[in-house]
Amino acid sequence: MSVVEDDGAPAEQLSALEEFRRAPGAFIRQRPHLPLVPLVLVVFVLAWEGVVWAWRIPEFLVPAPSAIGRALVAGLTSRLYLDHFGVTLYESLLGFLIAAAAGIACGTLIAQFRVVEQTLYPYLVALQTLPKIAIAPLLIVWLGFGITSKVVIAALVAFFPILVNVIVGLKTVDASKLDLMRSLDASRWQTFRYVTFPNALPFVFAGLDIAIVFSVLGAIVGEFVGSQRGLGNLILQFHTSLDIAGMFAVLLLLAALGVGLHLAIQAIQRRVIFWAQADHIVGA
Amino acid sequence: MTAPLIAVSRLEKTYLTRVGTRIRALADVTLDVADGEFVTIVGPSGCGKTTLLRILGGLLSASSGSVELLGRRVSGPSRNVGMVFQDPVLLPWRTVLENVMLPVAVLRLDRRAHHRRALDLLGLVGLAGFEDKYPHELSGGMRQRVSLARALVHDPALLLMDEPFGALDAMTREAMNLELQRIWRESGKTVAFITHSIPEAAFLGGRVVVMSPRPGRIVDVVTVDLERPRDLDMMGSDAFGSYTRKIRHLLGPKGWLE
Repeated sequence: MSVVEDDGAPAEQLSALEEFRRAPGAFIRQRPHLPLVPLVLVVFVLAWEGVVWAWRIPEFLVPAPSAIGRALVAGLTSRLYLDHFGVTLYESLLGFLIAAAAGIACGTLIAQFRVVEQTLYPYLVALQTLPKIAIAPLLIVWLGFGITSKVVIAALVAFFPILVNVIVGLKTVDASKLDLMRSLDASRWQTFRYVTFPNALPFVFAGLDIAIVFSVLGAIVGEFVGSQRGLGNLILQFHTSLDIAGMFAVLLLLAALGVGLHLAIQAIQRRVIFWAQADHIVGA
Repeated sequence: MTAPLIAVSRLEKTYLTRVGTRIRALADVTLDVADGEFVTIVGPSGCGKTTLLRILGGLLSASSGSVELLGRRVSGPSRNVGMVFQDPVLLPWRTVLENVMLPVAVLRLDRRAHHRRALDLLGLVGLAGFEDKYPHELSGGMRQRVSLARALVHDPALLLMDEPFGALDAMTREAMNLELQRIWRESGKTVAFITHSIPEAAFLGGRVVVMSPRPGRIVDVVTVDLERPRDLDMMGSDAFGSYTRKIRHLLGPKGWLE
């Protein structure tokens, strides 16, 4: 076997963690923003606390960070927040899953069959420009104050970003990959299964990432319009009793929920489309 | 003499552009290729050589004339053909071995028997031990070797190669030419190879088909009578030089090449 000199394979990429372990000093020096990010937060919180204290701003207008912290701890230890948190999480996740299934199925039909696309296109444009949230009161009337109406609103809001990305993804295939499949006389289904669908996955995940945040938005709006439980409902209760520190505490929980769901999608994405980041560099 | 593997007769191809004008890409192309032959097709950009190859591969239909492969009229893609494109066109979500096995899956061939064959082919192209790597972990030359193994896995009679080494640097390209010559000799396939490098055409081809720019016609077919296996030293010989001069003259007077 003759061995041929070849241009070298791409160099091994170190993970950030590994780099930090090997040379922490150099790692930080190359990324001066890393210590600055938490510093900004600390300065901001301290300034906030100071302003509230110096000007004696009443808690029902702007609570100090310490007051918000106390409200958060109290709410979490009494399980009050966690119950509501669980309800909103359930509504968002279920709505998201329904949107994902429907979005991928409809997007595939639209991208694969011209008739379906041309028939549905005007309706899709109309629906997409309509603010879906405006339908929420109607859905509360039809489906009641329970969880179902929130799940449907969350699904409705999350559906479109998935649908659009699935369609774009399925239509963005290199002509060369399609040529390859055609040269093998591949059936339409084989081309879809081996090339078009996996090729669309980076787009699908971009859609899912937007959709998971949208689904929380949908659930909260649904709870605002009419509900018995959930973090949106809790915000309204605190609003009525002018418990502004409590409202801020719930907002923190909502932020945590959003970030957590976003990170979960990213973690799944890294496992499923591990090839995607490297792919656009090689253009194979 | 036995019947040729490929018989192209009075082939014409005319494209209709979007604005309605007709472009004649191929004009009156007639060519026979014998079984086991290595034919290179050289010509300037836009001379229709890729069009010719795509018609041979059944990806395009001819406007008139006929193309026969193994005595049968070509009307679409055939499993008797393996294609290597300008880019490797590997699927980034499949490992090297899975990429080589793609034709086996698509053509519904026996998976187990071809698994062995795929591994052998990866050995043949010098990639033994790389079967579980992903395309992004390979260099450009290695990726093109994977695509060569993929084109051979279903044991086609004919290998169609469209400027497969055009994107590689000069040294890798020469090395790949040597490798390809060896693989061709070991596999006994018939190869039709497009290039716009005159030395590459003369080094690889038993015959060099020289084409003119639009409409693409065959200017001449040069038989390269140099002993095999050819090596890179041979490229400096007088005999080799006389072939490349001859090809350049066929192309050159009108300044078709850079």
